Amino acid sequence: MDIRRTITGVIVALIVIVQVYPLAWLFITSVRTEQDFAGGNPFALPTEVTFDNYARAFATGNLGLNILNSFIVTVGSIVVIVFLGMMGAYALQVLGFRFSKLVRALFLIGIIVPVQVALVPLFVDYAAVNLLDTYQSIIIPLAGFALPTSIYLFSSFYEYIPGEIYEAASLDGAGPYRIFGQITLPLSVNTMVTVAMVNSIFIWNDFIFANTFVLTDDLKTIPLGLQNYIGAMGKVDWTATFAAVCVSITPLLLVFLVLNKAMTYSLASGATKG
Amino acid sequence: MLPQRSRLSVLVFLLPPLALYGIAVLLPIFQSLFLSFFDWDGISPMLFVGLDNYVRMFTGDTVFWIAFRNTLGYVVICLVLQLGGALIVASLLTLLRRGREVVKTLYILPAVISTVAIAFLFQRIYSLDPEGLINQVLEFVGLGNLQQAWLSDVSTVLVAVSVPEGWRFTGLYMLIIYAALLAVPTELEEAAKLDGASWWQTFWRIRFPYIRPVWITTTIIATTNALRGFDIPYLLTNGGPGQSSELLTTYMYKTAFTSTNYGYASAISVFVVVECLAAVGLIFLLLRRKADA
Repeated sequence: MDIRRTITGVIVALIVIVQVYPLAWLFITSVRTEQDFAGGNPFALPTEVTFDNYARAFATGNLGLNILNSFIVTVGSIVVIVFLGMMGAYALQVLGFRFSKLVRALFLIGIIVPVQVALVPLFVDYAAVNLLDTYQSIIIPLAGFALPTSIYLFSSFYEYIPGEIYEAASLDGAGPYRIFGQITLPLSVNTMVTVAMVNSIFIWNDFIFANTFVLTDDLKTIPLGLQNYIGAMGKVDWTATFAAVCVSITPLLLVFLVLNKAMTYSLASGATKG
Repeated sequence: MLPQRSRLSVLVFLLPPLALYGIAVLLPIFQSLFLSFFDWDGISPMLFVGLDNYVRMFTGDTVFWIAFRNTLGYVVICLVLQLGGALIVASLLTLLRRGREVVKTLYILPAVISTVAIAFLFQRIYSLDPEGLINQVLEFVGLGNLQQAWLSDVSTVLVAVSVPEGWRFTGLYMLIIYAALLAVPTELEEAAKLDGASWWQTFWRIRFPYIRPVWITTTIIATTNALRGFDIPYLLTNGGPGQSSELLTTYMYKTAFTSTNYGYASAISVFVVVECLAAVGLIFLLLRRKADA
């Protein structure tokens, strides 16, 4: 029995190493010297640790600006997703109305349909109303496609708020707006955090909407900024590129590791509800 | 339902989310359907062509069928890696006594990385000149004759662009399946073991049927995610060499934004939407029926 356990342990360890090795390799490469990288063995530790790559990464690209843009887009989208998600769930689950089933089914479409279907129409619409190349142009589809999952997460939580609470509040004369502000909203904090965390990863990393709707360097988010490292230098400066990649993934990675428990829980529940 | 709700209050709460969703998701679906009946480059006047785009797509366009076949291959590879890998690792994890949390965290890490970063990473992992990670490993273990440029070889490129996508999300599905496995009542398994069932039998007769609902959901999520796969193939190979790693999504994107053929691109979009709906329906039918049998 113990032998079997040990073997299982070893197998799991091997799988984890294979799974994580590419990431470790990424970080190790970002502190290698160029000569060491060109000739070296991928499993050896770097002969010397250098941060020149990071200096070059910041010098060539616009990493600071890219991170700022990603931050604005992520926070903007999350605020929209959380608040509109909460309002939608409140209308569907707590207030209730005749066609609520139909509206729910409508929101389900957004979970199944691939985001690419929106690219051409939105590009045409944005061009018509001068929204191309703005923060809103990325935030609208990112928030729109994330909204159904957000609504489902909030409504499955609202199912568990006992109806007596609402009845008591109603008897005290509270209307739907006060009940939302004073009962539902304060109770929703945990779900808000879950929704925010699930979405922050996908929005921070969004490539397709930003790549389609952002045309100038000023608004480029992190994924687009990274792409410049290939074009700009013709011959790719790999160690500097890897340093840039490391800079771009570190904020999210840190948040993830610090909030590890809550984050893994959020990801799992977000995915199953979706 | 709240006793004192008014029609107005329902609208106040429902309209803002519905409006955003309408603009970002519903309207574009209808617009795609509409545009798919036109020939339009975005500048000159739109030309109504009826079903021509669809006729061309189904009968005259070999690239479309290559992309369709590649998409199916891409989905199969992703599903095998993601769901197969997830089921195996989750089952192994339930046997471990310590370190489960660490394994979970490490295993899901790739899901946090952006696709652009992943594309850079795998471009170097696959490359032949300079020698990338895989080719270095092959040399290292004495299989140097297997070295090749994985992304430029027509026969390996589809697998090569699918693997990063599989790698990226397997941790996420593992978490979901692991949580489901933990919920299987231990009494059931112990009773089966007392009756002399092997580990394998217990797994397929007790555990797997128990987690079937979660398995169905996970399969649907993984399939729809794989069907909308775009970033990694687009960034790694842009569909090449030739059309050997072209997916429907990358083909649609290039038709729209490189050839600026909005009408034809919309027809492909409509096909992708139908394909996703059909896939979800099919999974439901297949897995449900097995559950009844």
